[in-house]
Amino acid sequence: MRIIDRPNKKGGTRTAKAGIVLVAAALGALLFLCPAASAQQRTIVLDPGHGGLDVGAKGKFGAVEKDVVLAISLKLKALIESNLDYRVVLTRDKDMDVSLENRAALANNNDAAVFVSLHANGSFRKKAHGSETFFLSLNSTDEESRKLAYQENTAAGVGDRIVEDDKNLIQMILWDMAQSAYVRQSSRLAEIIQRELNVLLATENRGIKQADFKVLRGVACPAVLVEAAFISNPEEEQRLIDDAFQARVADAVFRGLSAYLRLLRRD
Amino acid sequence: MAKFRTPLVILLAVLLVGLVYLFIASISPERIANRAETPETPADVALLAEETRTVTLFFPREDDGLFVPETRSIPASGSIAQEAEAVLNELIKGSSKGLPSALPPEAKVGQVFVTKDGTAYADFSKDLVVAHPSGSDAETSTVFAIVDTLAFNFKSIKKVFILVDGEEKETLNGHVTLDRAFTPDFSLVAKD
Ligand SMILES: [Zn+2]
Repeated sequence: MRIIDRPNKKGGTRTAKAGIVLVAAALGALLFLCPAASAQQRTIVLDPGHGGLDVGAKGKFGAVEKDVVLAISLKLKALIESNLDYRVVLTRDKDMDVSLENRAALANNNDAAVFVSLHANGSFRKKAHGSETFFLSLNSTDEESRKLAYQENTAAGVGDRIVEDDKNLIQMILWDMAQSAYVRQSSRLAEIIQRELNVLLATENRGIKQADFKVLRGVACPAVLVEAAFISNPEEEQRLIDDAFQARVADAVFRGLSAYLRLLRRD
Repeated sequence: MAKFRTPLVILLAVLLVGLVYLFIASISPERIANRAETPETPADVALLAEETRTVTLFFPREDDGLFVPETRSIPASGSIAQEAEAVLNELIKGSSKGLPSALPPEAKVGQVFVTKDGTAYADFSKDLVVAHPSGSDAETSTVFAIVDTLAFNFKSIKKVFILVDGEEKETLNGHVTLDRAFTPDFSLVAKD
C-alpha cells in the first residue's frame, strides 16, 4: 500500500503547484481579455431577475417580481438601442428559468462592457420601501480559505481521480473570483445609477450597498444589481405594475449607464 | 502479556459494576418521584433557574430593518450544538414584542454542528426556502438574523454555514449566496 501511496502523494503536490500556476495564468488571461469596456466592446447585458418557476418576490395584490423586472428590462433595452451605440443582450426575454451561472456566463461570452441585474425588492417588513443599487461584497478571508482548502485537497493526493476534481475546483475558484477584479468599477456604476434612481423615481434613497449576490460573482466586467422599490409593499407594488413607473425605472438606469459609459470613454 | 490480562479484566469488571450501581442509584424511584413534582421550595426554583440560560435574539425592526435584541431563556444543556438549536427555534417562534420575524414560521431547525475552527453548520428544513418571501432585503435579514444571533450567543461560533435539508444551497431564494459560511455583521444591529 505504501509503495502505491508515495508516488500519488508526489503527484498530488505537483498537481497542486500546477493548479496554482493555472489559476494565476487563467486569472491573468481573464483580466487581459475583459478590460473595462474598451472601445471595441459594445455589448450591455441586462439581466431581468428570476423567471420560470422562480417568481421572485411577490406583492399583496398578486404582482410578481419576475414579470415586473422583465417589463422594465425590455423598456431599458429599447432605450439603450435607440440612444446608445451598444448592443443589448438579455439573459431572458420571456418568462423562463435561467440559472444564475448562465446569466454571468452570457455576460462573459459576449465580452459585456456592463452587466445590470434588475430586481424589485421583497421584505418581511410590510413598510419596507425605497430603491437601492448593489455591487458585490468580497469576503477575502473566505476566498483565502477556499484557496487553502484547494491546496490541501490537492496535496492530499488520493489518486488519479483528483485530476478531474482539480479542474472543476480551479474553474469554481476562477468563477467565484471573476467579479473581484471589477469591484471598484462596479461601485462607481452603482453610485451613478443610484443617483439617477433617486432623481427619477421619488422612492426613498436606500443608497448603494454591498452584498454577496450569486448572480454577480462570476461576471467579469462592471456589474450591479438594481432593486427598484419593494413589491412586498402594497403602495410600491401599485407603482411597480404601472407602465409609466416602469418606464421611469428604465430611464433612470439608462441615464446612469450612459453617464458611466461616457466616463469610461473619457478615461 | 497474558500475565497482565487477568488483573486488568478484574479491574474492568469492578469498574463496570460500580458504574451500573451509580446509574441505578441515580434513577431510583425516589428521585423520579421528586422530579415529577412541581417545584415548591425556593431551593427547587433556584435549581431550575440554574438549568436555563438567557440568550439574545435579533429581530429586524419595522422602520429600517436594523436588528434589535430580545432576550429569552433556553435550557442550558452545556452542549453548544443543542443550545444553538434551541436558540434558532426561539428565533423561528418570532418576536414577543411584535417585531417582524426574519425567518418563516414554517421553518424547522435540523441539527447544528460546530467545527473546531468555529464554523457552525446550521441545518434547516426546506420550509426555510419554500415559505420564504424572497427578495434581497428578506434574504439578507434571514441570513444575518441567524448568523448574528448565533455568533452573539456563542463565543466559539465565528461563522455560520446555512444548510437546507442537510445540503448546501446556491442561494437562499434567488439572491443571497448560501454556498459559503457567513461571518456576523453586527453593523446591522440598531445602535439606538
Ligand atoms: Zn430579485
